[in-house]
Amino acid sequence: MNNLLKELQHAELQRQTRRHFLKECGFGLGAIGLGSLLGSCGTSGSETAAPALPDDPMAVRMPQFAPKAKRVIYIHMAGAPSQLELFDYKPELEKYHGKDCPAEFLEGKKFAFIQGVPKMLGPQGKFAQHGQSGAWISDYLPYLQTVADEVTFVKGMYTDQFNHAPAQLLMHTGSPRLGRPSLGAWSIYGLGSENQNLPGFIVLASGGKQPDAGKSVWGSGFLPSVYQGVQCRTGGDPVLYVSDPSGMNRDIRKNTIEAINEINRQTYEEVQDPEILTRISQYEMAFRMQMSVPEVMDVSKEPQYILDMYGVKPGDGTFAMNCLLARKLVENGVRFVQLFDWGWDTHGTSADGAIEIGLHNKCRESDQAVAGLLKDLKMRGLLDETLVVWGGEFGRTPMQENRNGQVLPFMGRDHHLDAFTIWMAGGGVKKGFSFGETDELGYYAVKDKTHVHDLQATILHLMGFNHEEFTYPFQGRNFRLTDVAGKVIKPVLA
Amino acid sequence: MFLILLLQVSDWAIFFGRFHPVLVHFPIGFLLLAALLVIGKRLGKVSISDATISLILLVSAISATFACGAGYLLSLGGGYDEELLDEHMWQGLGVAAFAWVAWVVHSDFAYKKFPVSRAVYLPALGLATILTMVAGHHGGSLTHGEGYLTAYTPEPFRGLAGMEPRREEITEIKPIANVPEAIVYQDIVQPMLSVHCTQCHNATKKKGDLRMDSFAYLTKGGEDGPIFVAGKSAESEMLKRCLLPLNDDDHMPPKGKPQLSDNQIALLAWWIDQGAPVDKKVAQLKTDEKIKPALASLSVGENAKEGDGYNATGSPVLSLKVPEPNEKAVASLKSAGLLVNPVAAEQNFLEVSAVNAPEFTDAKVALLTPLAEQIIWLKMGDTKITDAAMGEIAKLKNLNKLHLEYTAVTDAGLKNLQNLPYLQYLNLVGTKVTDAGLQSLGSLKAIKDVFVWKSGVTEAGIAQLRKARPELNIVTGLDEAAVAAFLQAGKADSTQIAKKEIE
Repeated sequence: MNNLLKELQHAELQRQTRRHFLKECGFGLGAIGLGSLLGSCGTSGSETAAPALPDDPMAVRMPQFAPKAKRVIYIHMAGAPSQLELFDYKPELEKYHGKDCPAEFLEGKKFAFIQGVPKMLGPQGKFAQHGQSGAWISDYLPYLQTVADEVTFVKGMYTDQFNHAPAQLLMHTGSPRLGRPSLGAWSIYGLGSENQNLPGFIVLASGGKQPDAGKSVWGSGFLPSVYQGVQCRTGGDPVLYVSDPSGMNRDIRKNTIEAINEINRQTYEEVQDPEILTRISQYEMAFRMQMSVPEVMDVSKEPQYILDMYGVKPGDGTFAMNCLLARKLVENGVRFVQLFDWGWDTHGTSADGAIEIGLHNKCRESDQAVAGLLKDLKMRGLLDETLVVWGGEFGRTPMQENRNGQVLPFMGRDHHLDAFTIWMAGGGVKKGFSFGETDELGYYAVKDKTHVHDLQATILHLMGFNHEEFTYPFQGRNFRLTDVAGKVIKPVLA
Repeated sequence: MFLILLLQVSDWAIFFGRFHPVLVHFPIGFLLLAALLVIGKRLGKVSISDATISLILLVSAISATFACGAGYLLSLGGGYDEELLDEHMWQGLGVAAFAWVAWVVHSDFAYKKFPVSRAVYLPALGLATILTMVAGHHGGSLTHGEGYLTAYTPEPFRGLAGMEPRREEITEIKPIANVPEAIVYQDIVQPMLSVHCTQCHNATKKKGDLRMDSFAYLTKGGEDGPIFVAGKSAESEMLKRCLLPLNDDDHMPPKGKPQLSDNQIALLAWWIDQGAPVDKKVAQLKTDEKIKPALASLSVGENAKEGDGYNATGSPVLSLKVPEPNEKAVASLKSAGLLVNPVAAEQNFLEVSAVNAPEFTDAKVALLTPLAEQIIWLKMGDTKITDAAMGEIAKLKNLNKLHLEYTAVTDAGLKNLQNLPYLQYLNLVGTKVTDAGLQSLGSLKAIKDVFVWKSGVTEAGIAQLRKARPELNIVTGLDEAAVAAFLQAGKADSTQIAKKEIE
């Protein structure tokens, strides 16, 4: 403690020699402010001896009511997986396989690629009911079948956007346009970070490509940027440039950061720009992360059978590894873990983008890890408080894609906004439940239709927030994640 | 005036405003006293000096002025019937004005200057007195609602005064015994309107020029026109208002008043969609799958109680009221490296987590005790605590979730927990707890989820506890053999496209 005080005094003296004449002499008020600032330094008993910020952005705020899900793992299958191959079983569609699409489905409709009159495409997966709940899951997802009774399916989802980027933005920020905070950013704005040594919102991407909407899908929008998601790499250094350069030890780094933050704090006192608080807390966080991130991202201490359960080898950087890391992160109190896996956009233009090959292989790459994650969370007692969400940004058509009016070499489905399926498990949702239905051919959600905003309202509800009252003032009005819509899907709540 | 303008913006306005009902009694009392004394004096029954009457008039005028000021501030809070409020305001201002006039013309000073002015004295005093009574009555109506004074007029005076017979107010919806035979409007729709709407939309209040106390008035609508379109619930104003966000100014019933439940809204929409018939029974209308749960709820009388679903508690502990946590105790926990977070707004419960304090030991566990009532979620996982800490932890009597995973806690420590009435979640993963310790949990009233993966607990022990408490969710985990069995699931992958083939 003494040493720290001395360091501070030293830093303070240095600061005075440089800036004394420029600032303090001219503005007596500044000196008074400085005095109070130093006062708080002296009495602070915390380890870093940092004066308490006027408004610690990462402090835990109060949810409006006791949360059922204290943490979220959101698994976004970017590109939009086909609900008709995986969950939404439509035997009737089988009968129409190869026939022309009825005109009523095409009138006044716009598709991303379908032109003219496409043919209907029957379900390619083999469906059966699984678990006590009798959930329909196809043989594309054999591992998920084993945890069917943990999951609530929402089969009547619909959205407003049929292109990837706007649809992903709508799914994660509540608006198809750029500039709104993401769900993860809202959550840590509302709930703060539990583990003070790790970011509250961590993003892990796989599949070899970033989401189409770019980093805005985990951005902080108009919220202070301290709430944006921190993307970690799954191979090599998890966060670049967080380790010390050679020749610099941890103590020197600490002094440097404290000096920089001291200056930043004074600037904040003068100009009151909240972005300076972000900067300060990011420096401090980066310093703490030097120790904590490598530790939490290191899976070498995991027993072999746990690695087997997810189907990973240390350092392979796959989606499966990200699932394992997601478990480790929530175990360590990270509030929101966002997984993105690219490659689910199955138009049928190539083998990789074919329902019967590409989609099936994406399932093979991810199915075991997702089921393993649910099992792992459950046996550690984490699933009770962790909400797992799995889904894409929209659905896929019951028609086979006929890009440019041609017959494509592989089976594919176009983007579809009128029906898709997502599922949730854990933190406060029912186990072994299915909500919502589509029509006989899986074209429209017809029963218990659930808009993207309804899903968002439900997730916020599970985290303890009334989505209508959870707002942030910006440009003269209060904004919320669900814009002016959204209704909590009460039937799925446990 | 400046003061009032300044006041408008703050809590001070409402604070002073609320003194209005106190202040108004001064002018009422003093003016009536003045009137009484003046009459008594005229009749020669009372001997009193003019100076005394002057004093009483002065006090009346001053107190009436203050009452007016406070009344204005009170009205800023809103929520009053505009028309009645307006009348009341002018009457109140009249009281103050005439009281001042009466005082001025009564004084010797005015008399000497304008001898005629004395002629104004009696009319001014008389008007002030009458206005006091009228304003007082209107003030009462504003506060308690119109008709409050005479609502309980007994017969035969009731009949003599030409008042309608008193009707029982519906404040609660009674369960319907035979739903299919119930008349939809009379037995389902009107009762919920009577509970949620007619307080403001009745014969006397008529907000928005709308009455909702009979079918005829419903069809007539309000100042913005009809409130429903038979057969089209989506175009019906009545329903739109219910579905607006609670914070919207146009939302009905207004924020803060009891809201219609989802089932009630569904029933209302269904009734409108069916053409809003006045005399049809449930069985005579078309019912689909969607409306069935709402209709079913009528027979159990639940539709009024469903609420907005936002008190997603799960545990009865959350409905307890506990005092605010001691700030010093919270600070000392924080300085021990623990995270202390409120569980939810407007509650004093705390969540304490040692996620950043792996070095937390038995020596510091006593720091928790001053917050014994407030701590309901405690995360001690992966810390250095042992059985010695469990005595102190057991003092946290409202504990609902307890994480002890990967600690040195054993059966001996668990025995301490037996008197925790709200303990629902207990994580014992990676501890040395055995079957004996597990059995000791059988006496915990609320226990629901127990996690025993990688502990000393065996399947036999679990089976034994399940016999006593079949509802318990005791979660073990996967060992190597179980993982191997799980991996077999992939073999069910029936389609034969090998991954290599497409690469």
